[in-house]
Amino acid sequence: MALDFSLTDEQKQLQQLARRFAREQVAPVAKENDEQARVPWELVEQLYEIGLLNISVPEAAGGLGLGLVEEVIIGEELGWADMGFYTIPMASELGITPILLAGSEEQQKRFLGPLTERPSLAAFALSEPGNGSDAAALRTRAVRDGDHYVISGTKMWISNAKEADFNVVFATLNPEMRHKGVIAIVVENDREGVSFNKIHGKMGQRAAPTYEIIYDDVRVPVENLLGDEQSGFKIAMLTLDKTRIPVAAGSVGVARRALDEAAKYALEREAFGRPIADFQAIQFKLANMKIGLETARIYTLYAAWLADRGDPAHISASAVAKAYASEIAFEAANEAIQTLGGYGYVNDFPVEKLLRDVKLNQIYEGTNEIQRIIIARDILRALK
Amino acid sequence: MKYVAIIRQVPDGESKIKVEGGQVDLSGTTMILDQMDEYAVEEIIRLKEQHDGEAVVVAFGPERTEEAMRTALAMGADRGVLITAAGYVDPITQAAALAKVLAEEAPDVVFTGGQQADWDSQALGAATAEALGWPVITWTTAFELEDGKAKATHDLDEGAEVVRVELPAVFTAQQGLNEPRYPTLPGIMKAKKKEIKKIDAAELGVGGSKVEIVEQRIMELERKGKVIDGTKEPAAAAAELVKLLHEEAKVL
Amino acid sequence: MVLVVLDHDGSKLRKSALEGVTRGRKLAEVLGGDVVGLLIGPGADAVAEEAKDYVSKVYTVTGADFETYTAEKWAKAAQAAAAAAGAKAVVAPASRTGRSWTPRLAYKLDAALLEDTLDSWAEGDKVFATKYSFLNRVLEKQAAGLPAVISVKPNTTPLAEPAGAGTVEPLSVELGELERKVEVLEKIVESGGKVSLTEADVVVTGGRGMGSAEAFGMIEEFADLLGGAVGATRAVIDAGWRPYSEQIGQTGKTVQPTIYFALALSGAVQHQAGMNKSKVVVAVNKDPDAPIFKESDYGVVGDIHQVLPAMIEEVKKLKSA
Repeated sequence: MALDFSLTDEQKQLQQLARRFAREQVAPVAKENDEQARVPWELVEQLYEIGLLNISVPEAAGGLGLGLVEEVIIGEELGWADMGFYTIPMASELGITPILLAGSEEQQKRFLGPLTERPSLAAFALSEPGNGSDAAALRTRAVRDGDHYVISGTKMWISNAKEADFNVVFATLNPEMRHKGVIAIVVENDREGVSFNKIHGKMGQRAAPTYEIIYDDVRVPVENLLGDEQSGFKIAMLTLDKTRIPVAAGSVGVARRALDEAAKYALEREAFGRPIADFQAIQFKLANMKIGLETARIYTLYAAWLADRGDPAHISASAVAKAYASEIAFEAANEAIQTLGGYGYVNDFPVEKLLRDVKLNQIYEGTNEIQRIIIARDILRALK
Repeated sequence: MKYVAIIRQVPDGESKIKVEGGQVDLSGTTMILDQMDEYAVEEIIRLKEQHDGEAVVVAFGPERTEEAMRTALAMGADRGVLITAAGYVDPITQAAALAKVLAEEAPDVVFTGGQQADWDSQALGAATAEALGWPVITWTTAFELEDGKAKATHDLDEGAEVVRVELPAVFTAQQGLNEPRYPTLPGIMKAKKKEIKKIDAAELGVGGSKVEIVEQRIMELERKGKVIDGTKEPAAAAAELVKLLHEEAKVL
Repeated sequence: MVLVVLDHDGSKLRKSALEGVTRGRKLAEVLGGDVVGLLIGPGADAVAEEAKDYVSKVYTVTGADFETYTAEKWAKAAQAAAAAAGAKAVVAPASRTGRSWTPRLAYKLDAALLEDTLDSWAEGDKVFATKYSFLNRVLEKQAAGLPAVISVKPNTTPLAEPAGAGTVEPLSVELGELERKVEVLEKIVESGGKVSLTEADVVVTGGRGMGSAEAFGMIEEFADLLGGAVGATRAVIDAGWRPYSEQIGQTGKTVQPTIYFALALSGAVQHQAGMNKSKVVVAVNKDPDAPIFKESDYGVVGDIHQVLPAMIEEVKKLKSA
């Protein structure tokens, strides 16, 4: 009898709150924010007011200490309304997670406490212009100088980087040592030598800000080091093992929106004297979207449930969820466009944006190719 | 002071309504705190924030009403009392039961929504006031406490008026009274620990419903849906429209 | 015996009063006895001269205590008249005020309340009524025993014809403590509304697409031309362009006119709840995909600032023809 798929009463209320907020506040402005590539900071503030921002900050640091199941519930709803907007709180959780995993209690209070006191964000700076998937090949240098590290180098594709209070930066003490030389360190944005360049011309997710960060001999006290001098790479991997689950959740939201829009249109649009929903060609599309949506949703919750229990099976499960959910969502968006025909191709209807937005879900926080390597490694390791 | 909001749980206006066997079937329908009652809940929370005291939510309805009550608690109400009863019970009978609970609670101010989103009824506030022997002010758009009395602005059939009311009294809320807050996630978590006292309606010695719903069916009004393109020649389109209204619809 | 509470404006009966009389007669055919009327408030004595042609007896309740409306006083007066007449059923208009005092009366009489009814009739010693529910999306039939208080939705019932002279009987009603707890400090008269919104045959509603408060001048002109009332959407009220009292929709008023003009509004579900029972719906919107076109009989896709002035001209031509 242990198997139980039901949400708790509080989780249902959370879902209702997130759904209402997404429908009433986020969805109506999604098109405008996309068109103008505008960061809706007022929505970040409202998200903070209703308590849906940075929900994983532990109670000891003044937060709610909630888990990935709760984040997944929020992610589906915000992803439904605007995946671009959802990336903002999602990327903040990505910046918080390394501190949850490797930060001391003092560090958690110092870095995460302020995130609960006002609308504010964290960020995670791993990728660089010359490396993305090959995370151990990073070039950003950290040099120990007394009780400081001096950080220099360039980070790329960093969500929230400038809006955040701090970035968790991954830098190497010695590039020759590959992943064993990587440290994770919290670099506050107000330190001398930190600068940002906003990345323009994104295909989708245009409400979410993305940056290149340049660290020019930035002095950071050793108290900001997470874990020890060998643990940076491991912290990055442990973080992504968890945080790709919200990427899956946002994808589920996109898939649900695609199905909602396609089904609504199919009932209204007539061809050959009847609604196109009467045709099997359309019905099959809707059914396939539903199959993808339902399986991705339940598997994403499963991965979150494993992670919240601390079950190591979440490493592979989160990769499965991320790759699968982002792919069925891309397919759902594609089929929604096809269902709407010419209308699907123009931005009067919200479906073309779904496709542009969810393309990124197949890329960030580890491309879907990397997810397959993680999954395959897990299969083979068990047999060796 | 003590402030009470009488709330109800109703279907989300955005969700589809279905009828099975001549009765509305709400299974699978998203149920929410009635939007009109949200104004009532918001008002009692504000009163509590401004004047101290206690904000209590009271409801008459099926067990599931507890969900809507938790929403009100997550917004900031202190505790709830739920009179449970299955099936349809008319507002006059409900008022008799609610009055028993309210007489015991002895609040100074009672708010409820001006109209219910399921039964389209406006009767509960006025009937409850009558059952308690208190005055009622319907369609309230502004409210303040003043020297132990309430000063309220409310809508009439035409226009509005400002009244001074001796307390305790019942007020029905409408849009404009305030801007209801969202519940918050910390509020949801706190609400879990707040008390909801449940009372079986039968224990209150109130009779059965005076009104029976014999049959319900979905209203489908067929609209003609004739659309004229007036983007290029607005004057010609207007002329055609007026002609249609005069000659075809015969309403002008 | 059936009591009909007759709404009036101080000098003549309102349309809703004659709808009430029709309902009262229909009930009395089965329940037996006469139809008697009740007029409350300033002008009741004068209006009684008109009212006595419709009912066998008109009770009037007047005096200083009844200069201003409160739900408590009106319920008390209706209770006194119902007792005097020995009424088994009381019929009243389902106006805002009607719907605020009838629940009090029903409770006083230990009666069933059938609210905002589209039709009502008696079979044996039971009364039946039809009404809308679930934001006007469901039509339901209700049944109840006697006594019953029935409120009549405006514009649902044929107006009664005169049926010969009845009598007039002033009724004296003593107020108790409860009826003195509400003091009216100030009356706020509605701006544009020359015709009662809920009773109007023509309603002209403007949405956010009107663009400004000033643009409602056009709406007022059009409504006046047709002898109709002005309505507004929630967005317009929120923008502060029009008073709350003109709001049509779930959280505002519900109207059921013969012709409803939905101008420069998209037609959200919440708005539809307030107007979807109108006989003929006409929409003007620049967005051809606006949901309101699906809820309309006639629509024009176009700029309201061009189409509406042209409509006003066309109606003027029609009237002078």
